[in-house]
Amino acid sequence: MSSAGGQRPAANRMTLQTFKARLGGASKGFKLLKKKRDALKSRFQALLKDIVDTKLKVGESLKDGAFALAKAHYASSGDDIASSIVERAKKPSVTTKMYPDNVAGVSIPVFKVLRNASQEAIAHTMGVGSGGAVLNATRDTYLKAVECIVQLASLQTAFHTLDEEIKMTSRRVNALEYVLIPRIEDIIHYITQEMDEQAREEFFRVKKVVEKKKVKLAKEKEQAEKNEAAIDAPSILQKKDADIVF
Amino acid sequence: MVTVYSKPGGLTTFNIKDGFVEALLRGYKLGFLKDVDYRSILQCDNLSDVKLNLQETDYGNFCAEVQQVSPSIIREKAMEKLVAEFEYLRSQADYPLAQFLDYITYDYMIDNVMLILKATLNNPNVDIFSLVKQAHPLGQFEESVLKSICAFENSAKGYGELYQSVLIDTPIGKYFAKFLEEESAKSAQNANDVQNLLAELSATRLESSLRKLYLEDFAHFCETLGGETAEIMLNLLKARADATAINITLNSFDTQLNQINTRKSQRKPLYPSMGFLYPEGTEKLSEVGDENDLASVLRTYPIYEEIFKSHQGQSNEQTIDDAFYEREVELNEMAFEGQFQYAAFYSYVRLKEQEIRNLVWICECIVQRRKDRTSDHFVPIFSKEAKFRNRNR
Repeated sequence: MSSAGGQRPAANRMTLQTFKARLGGASKGFKLLKKKRDALKSRFQALLKDIVDTKLKVGESLKDGAFALAKAHYASSGDDIASSIVERAKKPSVTTKMYPDNVAGVSIPVFKVLRNASQEAIAHTMGVGSGGAVLNATRDTYLKAVECIVQLASLQTAFHTLDEEIKMTSRRVNALEYVLIPRIEDIIHYITQEMDEQAREEFFRVKKVVEKKKVKLAKEKEQAEKNEAAIDAPSILQKKDADIVF
Repeated sequence: MVTVYSKPGGLTTFNIKDGFVEALLRGYKLGFLKDVDYRSILQCDNLSDVKLNLQETDYGNFCAEVQQVSPSIIREKAMEKLVAEFEYLRSQADYPLAQFLDYITYDYMIDNVMLILKATLNNPNVDIFSLVKQAHPLGQFEESVLKSICAFENSAKGYGELYQSVLIDTPIGKYFAKFLEEESAKSAQNANDVQNLLAELSATRLESSLRKLYLEDFAHFCETLGGETAEIMLNLLKARADATAINITLNSFDTQLNQINTRKSQRKPLYPSMGFLYPEGTEKLSEVGDENDLASVLRTYPIYEEIFKSHQGQSNEQTIDDAFYEREVELNEMAFEGQFQYAAFYSYVRLKEQEIRNLVWICECIVQRRKDRTSDHFVPIFSKEAKFRNRNR
């Protein structure tokens, strides 16, 4: 793999060291992120199952609610329940609160239902004339439905958050696995190659120098011999001294 | 002479004025859905099948032009039919009967006034036209009256103004007058206390007070009519008053109405001052604090004891409302047994209401695919299979 047109760094021992350190960091990060992704994914799968279950439950409970409402309509003898309920509704008795939950370092919002029964006191006087019991039953049925819906909302939000997170983590894992680490390896490979090359060059140069020197020496030696022969006059000393080269 | 004209007349004189109308009524009675009709409707899997089945009944003409069927549309159409029939009866009726029929509509007028008051209470800019559509067509006011009702606030003072400028002209004005009279008498006793306590309850209070006054007034009117009319009508109205009293007691158990100090001062005024339970029964009811107390009070009234048992049975299938509906149907069917009296007219409207409820319920069950539950709340009318008939056998 090429270095994608990136600038080749200077090939020396120091850069090699830095790149080796970077490679170590990247592969450590890669391993960690992969672990995180797997954890998220396993959570995600569990969540999917939960969501399907809850969705079915919501459908069921809403059906129950609609049925209970039909019952209430029947019991309140055609009075318009909706408007009297709207008239009474002032403060919500059911609220949701968000708590953070932590999965592999990702904070996921979890919604919880809070019910303040005291706010419902007004609604209790509904249908005192007739059908009050049925209305109360309807309210309870719908309350269950609301709880299911909130649970579903919580799961869905977690689903979305996890989905985003998994996508991001996968992108990072892939980027590390297929781009960053190969690039660093490539560079390291290049640097080592380059350094080998340099070493070989150096070796060759030294060899060359030695060779040249030898040649030069030989030449000089020859010259000296020639000179000696040319002179060839009886030496002043006559006697050849072994220590004297020239 | 005057006395002759202000009474329904008996065996020999009834038909002079009311013969035709009663004949009409007897004809309409044949229009109730029969067991066969119910059976075929119950076998339907969707609402277009229901419509198809209804086409063979008296509802045929009213459902014919409907394209899309839903429970609420069926209700609307059935109501339309009831109103058309009632209007026709009303237009044929002469004085005492006409007055009697008007009394029947007052009930729905109270509903409508309350509907508008409740709707406009929090939201003065509510859409009047949608409200008019929701209102019960039997108790319809003119639009100008409806619009002006919306302009008043929900307080004793607001009610006073509302009464003086708008409702005084409507037939139910007298009930408002009475209510305000009682209210002001009470306010004089412990002025701010009552106002504060009732701020929340006042709409409910107003409604049940009006209903109570209406029942009493209607009963009084029936008494002046005398004869069989009075006899049967008083029976019916008393049963209704008792149902209201028992229901109020039962439904108040979880509310602030059941607190010991408010039982007498606030719950008791909600009871109608008539009925089989009145006065000694309602007196006892006003002391009741939970279901066991209520059961022990009702033990002395065999009919209500049985009705209450269906509530205590805790079987999900029948609520106390169903038991009361059943009893109402039973009583109203009996009103058709006698001739030369007006009670049948009242019963006709009540039974038709029940029929509409039945239809809507069955349609809801079909829409929501809970057909197995249809028998929970449904009281066939003039049916050989009615539960109370089989019970007597």
